[in-house]
Amino acid sequence: MPNQKTPKDGSAHFAIEGELTIYRAAELRDAILPQINQADVLEIDLSQVTEIDSAGLQLLVSAKLEAMIRDKQLHFTGHSEPVLEVFDLCDLGGFFGDQVVIAPHTAH
Amino acid sequence: MGALATTASPVAAAEAADIRQYLTFALGSEMFAVGTLSVKEIIEYGHLTEVPMMPGFIRGVINLRGAVVPVIDLAARFGRNPTQITRRTCIVIIEVPTGEERHDIGVVVDAVSEVLEIPAGEIEPAPAFGAKIRTDFIQGMGKVNGKFVILLDVGKVLSVDEISTLASVAGQVPQAMAA
Amino acid sequence: MNLDEALKTFIIESRELLEQMEEALLHIERAQDDPEIINAIFRAAHTIKGSAGLFGLEYIVAFTHVAESVLDRVRSAELQIGADLVALLLFSRDHIGTLVNHADTGEDPSEASNVRSRELITRLNAYLGHKAEVPATAKNGMPAELEPHLERSSAEHVETDNWHISLRFGRDVLRNGMDPLSFIRYLGTFGTLVNVVTVVETVPPISQLDAESCHLGFEISFQTSVDKAMIEGAFDFVRDDCQIRIMPPHSKISEYVQVIRDLPGKEMRLGEILVQCGTLTAAELEQTLRQQAQSEAQDKRPIGEVLLEQHIVRPEVVAAALDKQKQVKDQKTAESSLIRVDAEKLDQLINLVGELTIASAGTALIAQRAGITELQEAASTLSRLVEKVRDSALTLRMVQIGGTFSRFQRVVRDVSRELGKDIELVISGGETELDKTVVEKIGDPLTHLVRNSMDHGIEPAEVRLAQGKPAKGTLRLNAYHDSGSIVIEVSDDGGGLKKDKILRKAIERGLVQPDANLSDKEIFNLIFEAGFSTADVVSNLSGRGVGMDVVRRNISALRGSIDLDSEEGKGTTISIRLPLTLAIIDGFLVGVGKSSFVVPLDLVVECIELSDEDRRAANERNYLSLRGQVLPYLRLRDMFDVKCAPVRRENVVVVQYGNARAGLVVDSLQGEFQTVIKPLSRIFSHINGIGGSTILGSGEVALILDVPRLVQQVGSQAEKSCLEAA
Repeated sequence: MPNQKTPKDGSAHFAIEGELTIYRAAELRDAILPQINQADVLEIDLSQVTEIDSAGLQLLVSAKLEAMIRDKQLHFTGHSEPVLEVFDLCDLGGFFGDQVVIAPHTAH
Repeated sequence: MGALATTASPVAAAEAADIRQYLTFALGSEMFAVGTLSVKEIIEYGHLTEVPMMPGFIRGVINLRGAVVPVIDLAARFGRNPTQITRRTCIVIIEVPTGEERHDIGVVVDAVSEVLEIPAGEIEPAPAFGAKIRTDFIQGMGKVNGKFVILLDVGKVLSVDEISTLASVAGQVPQAMAA
Repeated sequence: MNLDEALKTFIIESRELLEQMEEALLHIERAQDDPEIINAIFRAAHTIKGSAGLFGLEYIVAFTHVAESVLDRVRSAELQIGADLVALLLFSRDHIGTLVNHADTGEDPSEASNVRSRELITRLNAYLGHKAEVPATAKNGMPAELEPHLERSSAEHVETDNWHISLRFGRDVLRNGMDPLSFIRYLGTFGTLVNVVTVVETVPPISQLDAESCHLGFEISFQTSVDKAMIEGAFDFVRDDCQIRIMPPHSKISEYVQVIRDLPGKEMRLGEILVQCGTLTAAELEQTLRQQAQSEAQDKRPIGEVLLEQHIVRPEVVAAALDKQKQVKDQKTAESSLIRVDAEKLDQLINLVGELTIASAGTALIAQRAGITELQEAASTLSRLVEKVRDSALTLRMVQIGGTFSRFQRVVRDVSRELGKDIELVISGGETELDKTVVEKIGDPLTHLVRNSMDHGIEPAEVRLAQGKPAKGTLRLNAYHDSGSIVIEVSDDGGGLKKDKILRKAIERGLVQPDANLSDKEIFNLIFEAGFSTADVVSNLSGRGVGMDVVRRNISALRGSIDLDSEEGKGTTISIRLPLTLAIIDGFLVGVGKSSFVVPLDLVVECIELSDEDRRAANERNYLSLRGQVLPYLRLRDMFDVKCAPVRRENVVVVQYGNARAGLVVDSLQGEFQTVIKPLSRIFSHINGIGGSTILGSGEVALILDVPRLVQQVGSQAEKSCLEAA
């Protein structure tokens, strides 16, 4: 379940837990959008994502694009195994530009 | 239709059968008529601009709601004295078919009288001789109340080609050589 | 936009593209190395093909595809373009035009068209190194020297061993319970996913995202040993609502090019496009970028060049990618700065502006009569604004004459082949603007003059060489603005006109008196007389069906004039002088008797009073002295036979047309006046000295003077009287 954490250094934190799939895509979209609206710097924790499909991937891409357009920072952290697998498959590490723990290179 | 069988031109006969309504008008003491289908409108005489170097029967041009329309003096076209302008003088705007296109031409008449229905049976062919105007101008002779009305063939009377040729002869300034 | 309108747009645009294509083809022989021209030709063919596909016009697609493939090889410099290929491509262009006409009329192509298609395809295929469509020639002994050529032609294929798969998923794929990623994973079960590029450009930002619609696309470089059917099978479930393109290893460059073009239309960096295509790996790109950064200190080179130098990508692919980038940019600028407007709407606007001009003049007149100062001021503000509206409305219809000129490249090319002469067309002043309605009517007379110059003006090569001229003849088309007119010149460096022959012929035909004393110009201009032109070898300028008199009549109908200058042995120049517009002009109103006449203001030089001395001498001579210069003049009162009582003072309006000046003597000067030109009835077509009519503020009609004709008339009269005096 999405989970709002207390902001520490002015940046907002947000976690997506469980499935990141078509079944929850609409719900998660409505949860993420206000987060981007409110914060200039947002971290989304993906460590508890248990499953991700194309809809989930598209949602992350779309969130990142929104942040880029509005000149905000959006980082994904703690990529879980399923997330990493999909990022790898789609070669999207470079697009998101986040530090990925397991694969040590910083793609840009 | 019996009377029409003797008409020289079958085309004219067919047209005569089509056009039942005629606008009659006076030129001097004579009555003439044209089919109402070719009459666009009737306006008061006035605001005429003369065009130089034109034969007498071309009176000039008028502004008809933004279009410049030539005006012909019908009496002069028939070789009579030019029309004297009175309070009753009118310009009848007539649409003349010329090949593919249609031409608007105004004609000066002494007075417009009325619109008449002349049944085809009451129309006789143009007389071969004895008429006071060129016979090819006459489409037929309509009988109205025992009198004859001359139905004009507007295509002939207002032939753009013919008038233009006449105008060019009159407008020709003698010159040794057109450069 | 409904389908009919879209089809109409397609047809209009195709014709424009074909025009550009023709122009480029005609240029290419002279500018072989200019990649822009080749690209322009290729783009035109490609766009027509693409759009025709949208309308299901298979006959256009099939034919254009072959032409496009040949062009593609030219573009990648695998094929040298020569005269023969240009000729073939010109034929192909014409044929595409014919096919577009079929699309316009909505008929299927005629049998003749189909035959032509097949014939041209066979000829085009010869350039592709394909077996000719006629199997007999292909099998019956291919010449040995053709073999290496065929081998080389494999260079148009990409070098990687990988399949390339381009996927664009339909909107409803996710809703239908399918997961695009699973298709990619499935591919991984029977091959290696060398590279997967996710196309993110098509994904909207989250604020606009419908999270259940699919916006994803993928470009995949795939290595496998299975066949195409197997790969296709992986997408069986989504094939209907997805765009799937599968290209086998060593696919043709042109197919790659297609993929680049079909990528979402956002501006992308070249490198990324190449990566997305699977032509480059991300690593290769990174390496290239690093190198570019290093060399940047010395010179900043485009990434395309760096990649080429590294032999990482094939030149063709770079060219296509660059092309794509440029196209995206071009499209953006063109879209933002141009809109397409129905010509009829423009005409309607101009008509309304004409009515507005007249109404405004009427208002001004009434305001003046009423004597209310505020009303007069308001009316004059209104007139000023109307004048501006008029000017900008008229510029809307102004077009450059260059479009008309460049069409003659083709005419000159075709006619010179036909005549077996080598003639070059040199165009200048193409940017000169004039009213569209004039441009439309100038084509025929110009064609006639150009053909005449080529046919009879320019001599055969042997004759030219014998006279010490270069073997290649030159024909020039030039245009420029000159005091309210546009002047169009057609000149050749041919043999020129032979004065004595013309004169002899004219006397023979009774056009001039044997004892007539004519100037050179008058003699030359005799060829424009009706009844002069015959198929006879009198002059350099006998006609093809129509005579030069018809040309002059056409020009006169446009209120223009034509003039000829020639020097024997050197060449001939024909100048056509035309008004810039046939709609509304600035006029100068003059009064003669009770009538008002309009002189086009552009042609007015100055106005002076006719001195008493000149008035007294008017019966003996028809010229006056203007600051020491002789100025011939014409009294409109006499010419138009105005019967009104003479006025106390007369004025002279000095007009200039071309190089000639003349004075027009009038009663009064009534000032400037915006003149909406109304055509005069055909009844007045032969009238001398009157060019048209207009409607004054009072609602009355005023006649517009045909100044060119009057000036000419005054000039020839003056010359005559000079000769008589001499």
